[in-house]
Amino acid sequence: MSYTVSAAGPALPPARIVSLSPSTTEILFALGAGERIIGVTNYCDYPEEAKRKSKIGGMSNPSLEAVVSLKPDLVVMTTDGNPKEFEELLHTLHIRTFVFTARRIADLPQGIRELGAALLVRERAEALAKEMEHALARLGSGVKGHGPGKEKILYIIWPEPLIVAGPGTAMDDAITLLGRKNIASSASSAYPKYSLEEVLRQAPDVILIGKGSGMDMVEVSRGILKRMTSVPAVRNNNVCYLSDGLYRLGPRVVRGIEELAECLDRRSPR
Amino acid sequence: MSRPKIAALILMPCLLFLCSLFLGPKAINPVGLSEIEREILVQIRLPRVLVAFLMGMALGASGAVLQGVLRNPLADPYILGISSGASLTAALGIIGGLTFLGAFTVPVLAFIGAIVTGSIVGAMGWKRGGLWPERLLLAGVGLSFLFSALLMLMMSISTDEGLRRAMLWIFGDLSMSEWQRVPYGLLFVMAGMALSVTRAKALNALILGDEFAHSLGFAPQRERSILFVSVGLMTAASVSLGGMIGFIGLLMPHIMRFFVGSDSRMLIPASAVGGGSLLCIADLVSRSVLPPMELPAGVITAIIGAPYFLYLLRRKHVLSF
Repeated sequence: MSYTVSAAGPALPPARIVSLSPSTTEILFALGAGERIIGVTNYCDYPEEAKRKSKIGGMSNPSLEAVVSLKPDLVVMTTDGNPKEFEELLHTLHIRTFVFTARRIADLPQGIRELGAALLVRERAEALAKEMEHALARLGSGVKGHGPGKEKILYIIWPEPLIVAGPGTAMDDAITLLGRKNIASSASSAYPKYSLEEVLRQAPDVILIGKGSGMDMVEVSRGILKRMTSVPAVRNNNVCYLSDGLYRLGPRVVRGIEELAECLDRRSPR
Repeated sequence: MSRPKIAALILMPCLLFLCSLFLGPKAINPVGLSEIEREILVQIRLPRVLVAFLMGMALGASGAVLQGVLRNPLADPYILGISSGASLTAALGIIGGLTFLGAFTVPVLAFIGAIVTGSIVGAMGWKRGGLWPERLLLAGVGLSFLFSALLMLMMSISTDEGLRRAMLWIFGDLSMSEWQRVPYGLLFVMAGMALSVTRAKALNALILGDEFAHSLGFAPQRERSILFVSVGLMTAASVSLGGMIGFIGLLMPHIMRFFVGSDSRMLIPASAVGGGSLLCIADLVSRSVLPPMELPAGVITAIIGAPYFLYLLRRKHVLSF
């Protein structure tokens, strides 16, 4: 088990929860535990109620004092952005933690089940996990057999400097699930600063552009797309602007994949 | 200054320039270019290599000038706070997602930040009708601390993604170099170079002291002001072209002193050419070692340059500053 439980195990479901990442906040709300959340990070903005919870700082630099002063009986953390030392600090103060370890789309349903077990809402977690597994299977099955071959995709996280979604990211998983090839999947880090000339050489068929926090991505990406005019995706106007669904490994991931599939299908219906 | 040395100072940069143009994550054979290779060469690599060379030139030359003007071997173009001012305004644009001038927004913001900071430092260093080296240096260091602190403050309250983008820019980013940046870079760097090279004789005199310069017929304050303006122009242009690249401004003049001596008339152009070549090579390495990922060129510059500098330092018996 990846989470720490006090020796006797929890007799009562945790009632004062602090969530240290936007994705775990979204999962907690989806599990119906929204009422029990008493603290979230400054970046937790979904669902709407999350914005009204007490703030405890950022993901990489949460305030220990702010967390402790809320007197939580469970702190939900993630390995994807929270410092490990923070978990140890909480333990020395005898605060129980649950560490969410899923970092890939395929691990998400299981992660949700484990979190549900820690919250004593097993049925609800099971239902959500099942629903997700069905959705993922449905989205993945559409391409098998008569998929449009290996279309090459580039997922731009930020245009200047060019940062893209590399291996091990939810975006990469989604592209693979839909039977396409992420041209950046051979890079040596998850969010590499990518070589512009390599984009021209790889000639992606579709370019996806993620959503930046509150910025007009059409405007921000104009310059870089102008430099990619010889790339098939830009030449044939196969550029999609997506929401932040895939940026957070939570319940909205399914919507994020659907959105990606809609973009790809518009080009070549399966 | 011997002929072979001058020939080396001209040929080496040309060779390195061509290397960084045709080598890279994939080498390009100039004979028989395919359509895509031509585009990569002309639209991506050529502007990038030119921008790198211009930036390196500006940093090397302004380092050589500044060490003379401030009579301090540890001076570099960033010590005057110009770069911290530029980083602050650039980060403001990057983190705030400003796009009012399209792709030019961040370079223009950086340039404005650099010029404004340079002017403040100049104003602080101005007393009794002239610029004083100690005052300039202290004003620069003081402002530098203030602006770095403001920058850290801004970064610590920004989102993680904004933070990473700002960090990439601050550590030197040449990946977005495009043709549109070349003309204004060329203009400011060449203007600064011309100013400083034509005042090189006066700089030689200034290094020996104001009284000495005066006795040779130079007006020390006037010369110092002109040289300060040339440094401001070159540094502002370089920061605006591609962020901050360390090492070159501080140590390229010292490397070149080992080869050409400390006569500014030779030292300024030699430091410029050396700085340009080093940055070209550093950028070539940064985009070639882990393709398709690119590393920050500023890091590679110091990794290549520093051991070489230390080697030269051990080998020489006399230091000629």
